[in-house]
Amino acid sequence: MSEVANVSATDVPSVGPMGAPDGPSSARPGSRELIQSVSLRYGVVIALVLMIVAFCVARPDSFATVSNLQAILAQAAPAMILAVGLTTVLVMQDFDLSFGATTNLAMGLVIAMIVKSGVPWVPALLVGLAAGVAVGLANGFLIARLGAASFIITLAMSTVVVGVEFAVTDQQNIIAELPAAFTSIGQNAPILGLSNVFWIAVIVCAIGWFALDKTESGRFMYAIGGNSEAARLAGVPILRLRLIGFAAVGFTAAIAGVLLASQSGSYAPGVGSAYLLPTYAAVFLGSAAFRPGQFTIPGAIVGVLFLQVINTGLSMLNLDTFVINLVQGAILIAAVLLSRLGQRTA
Amino acid sequence: MTGDDVSQASLFVEARGLSKAYPGVQAAQGVDFAVSRGEIVGLVGPNGAGKSTLIKMLAGAVIPDEGTISVSGAPVVIDRPSIATGLGLAFVHQERSDVPNLSVAENVQLGLGFPKRQGRIDRGALKRNAVAVLDRLGARMDPEALASSLSVVDQRLLTIARGIAADAQMIVLDEPSASLTADEIEMLHDVLRRLAAQGTAVVYVSHRLDEITALTDRVVVMRGGRVTGAFPTAGASTTKLIEHITGVPEAARVGVTRASLETQRQAMASADSTKLLDVRGLSRAGIVEDASFSLAAGEVLGLAGMVGAGRSELMRLIYGADRATGGEILVDGEAVTIKSPRDALRAGIVLLPEDRRRHGLILEQSIRQNMTLPAIRRFRRVPGLPVPSLARERRAAVEQMSDLAVRAPSPETVVGTLSGGNQQKVVLAKWLIHGARVFIFDEPTLGVDVSGKRELYARMEKLAAQGHGVIFVSSEFEELVETCSRVLVMREGRLTGEVLAPDISVAGLVSRCYADRAAA
Repeated sequence: MSEVANVSATDVPSVGPMGAPDGPSSARPGSRELIQSVSLRYGVVIALVLMIVAFCVARPDSFATVSNLQAILAQAAPAMILAVGLTTVLVMQDFDLSFGATTNLAMGLVIAMIVKSGVPWVPALLVGLAAGVAVGLANGFLIARLGAASFIITLAMSTVVVGVEFAVTDQQNIIAELPAAFTSIGQNAPILGLSNVFWIAVIVCAIGWFALDKTESGRFMYAIGGNSEAARLAGVPILRLRLIGFAAVGFTAAIAGVLLASQSGSYAPGVGSAYLLPTYAAVFLGSAAFRPGQFTIPGAIVGVLFLQVINTGLSMLNLDTFVINLVQGAILIAAVLLSRLGQRTA
Repeated sequence: MTGDDVSQASLFVEARGLSKAYPGVQAAQGVDFAVSRGEIVGLVGPNGAGKSTLIKMLAGAVIPDEGTISVSGAPVVIDRPSIATGLGLAFVHQERSDVPNLSVAENVQLGLGFPKRQGRIDRGALKRNAVAVLDRLGARMDPEALASSLSVVDQRLLTIARGIAADAQMIVLDEPSASLTADEIEMLHDVLRRLAAQGTAVVYVSHRLDEITALTDRVVVMRGGRVTGAFPTAGASTTKLIEHITGVPEAARVGVTRASLETQRQAMASADSTKLLDVRGLSRAGIVEDASFSLAAGEVLGLAGMVGAGRSELMRLIYGADRATGGEILVDGEAVTIKSPRDALRAGIVLLPEDRRRHGLILEQSIRQNMTLPAIRRFRRVPGLPVPSLARERRAAVEQMSDLAVRAPSPETVVGTLSGGNQQKVVLAKWLIHGARVFIFDEPTLGVDVSGKRELYARMEKLAAQGHGVIFVSSEFEELVETCSRVLVMREGRLTGEVLAPDISVAGLVSRCYADRAAA
């Protein structure tokens, strides 16, 4: 593990040596302890529910509607997809700061190929996805194989990726007639009035959850995050798994990029990059839930929904933008503090 | 016995009756120790003799249960490291203690505060001060060079320089010559002699008796937490030192002659069929040199040596934790390539590492998760699908827990909360579940209580009886005597001797760990 990543990792809730994962044995009788442990595990979930109730009461006509629920879930979908890849590397105590750029690259590639080069949409889509995986593999190779610091490398890689994106798109918005089959992926909402994008996000999350929580590779990944040297000495294939982690980030970023392209039917520079920080915020927020101090997919999903609900709710209260920013930031800080607290007492 | 030949006027540090007990161990018992200004005292003794405890009590890292310390005749209580520094005591440890990305001059004055002029660091004064200190040492070092660019010996000298800059009256060096070349050791000794001539007291801890005889004025020998001898170095032969260290007269020592060793080797070589593990010329530049030995099925082979002799390093090479730069490893007579722990596991070799918390366990995970980690493929719910069955894992973990008497409420208990002995059992269970031909135990009883130790010895013997090969690395030679049919001795990166039961004795092993080249 790289030095830089290690240093920064000490600031995050995931990595304390005392971070207790699952373990019914730690839940001792005693009502105070019980309340404490429940509030730690489900604090974020409870906060999310309370927030939803509050917004429903405050704006019964706009917030408490089915269409608003559908909108919130649809808007949360890209971040849900990105959170799966990000969680995979964070579990192994790696960082990836390049996925925002990768999302943009996939978006730009697909649209530019269809519009500028006249490539049919299916191969264009596949190239977009492959580009994401390629970026991830390049990150993984540089970091896992050559031992570079993940923080710096992925930051540098994001600059490279933006360069490639601009070379492909000339840094111009691209708005043109796209094949209906392509745009329908992102724009149709066949089941329960929820968009395809949301259902794809659900599938990606389910796969991510299964892989991390149920498979041998997932077990190995958590072992690497817990103690990479002990994991190596136990025969865990560290290089391969870290490589897979970065590839997963690239792949999920590309899926998000392709879906955003299809949804908007256009390309604009910087759309994907806007997802970088909120996704990090959501995943760290989620690490306070369920298994305090550990990155999990269910936690990440709760984190994403939490932020989306705040966003939508606050904008419906017709607050000034600066108030929204202040409140959003304060809630995030409070949530991260809560998870630090959980890590210490857990 | 300490101050007899030391004139009271020049006495600097005097400790009387220092004792320190840890649970189950009396680390120091009534230790008297005195050092005069300008004197170089050698401190020797086998692993666990109490040397480190004594030094830590002087440094304020360990607080003695009993006894007094006085400095320049005044009684003092050293209960924090800062007090030791204030009293003019400086300590040089094996690990580097400088800040690599600062210059030599900055490091020299790191603890003192930098000289300032108009609120800014006065670079000129900083450099002048550092040069003055380095000159006192006679050390040739560029004060503007980064500490990270220094050689190992210069790092040690820099630490000494920091002590001198802080006005240290006594320098204590703990195994300072480890990983230094002969020329560098000479350089270090020159500096120490120079400091002593200026009136500084020097305490020099080393396992290398040739250094002790070459450098020191007086030798203090410790064994089993007590001072067992203190005498002027002049006139003390290496033989006499070894006698004091082992507590057994040289003439009475049981040893194995070169010739009989050869015979044993040949016997081993002829019985080729029983050779489970054969290590030939295994090396890692500068750390392990040309290590050759074999291990038979059914054998518990001991590996003795002083701290820093390269035992753990050799084991790590065999296990693929570090890469060897030369040599080969054969399992059942077949050459195997071991470049990683995965290769070793495939070849049937497992390692219980010395530092189990850092290298053997994932502390925040459960007993079950730790135990099944390397063999997770064996717990698949459905054959061919990489999805482990929790229930089957839990059954295996519970079985191991009752088999090895792991004391924990459930297999889901977090490993970090267990005692040392129970943690070691979890590491062992991990490898028992995985299965192997060769089990390497590196200091398995470190921090394990007496009953836990018994259980571990019994387990090693059982593994051997089942036809496995066991390598037992230990610094507590008593347990090697008790458990092993054969013990190899390692010194300064080389395998230097082999002792066979019933000739294995603690004293014999200790003296073999010390014997210098001439005596061997």
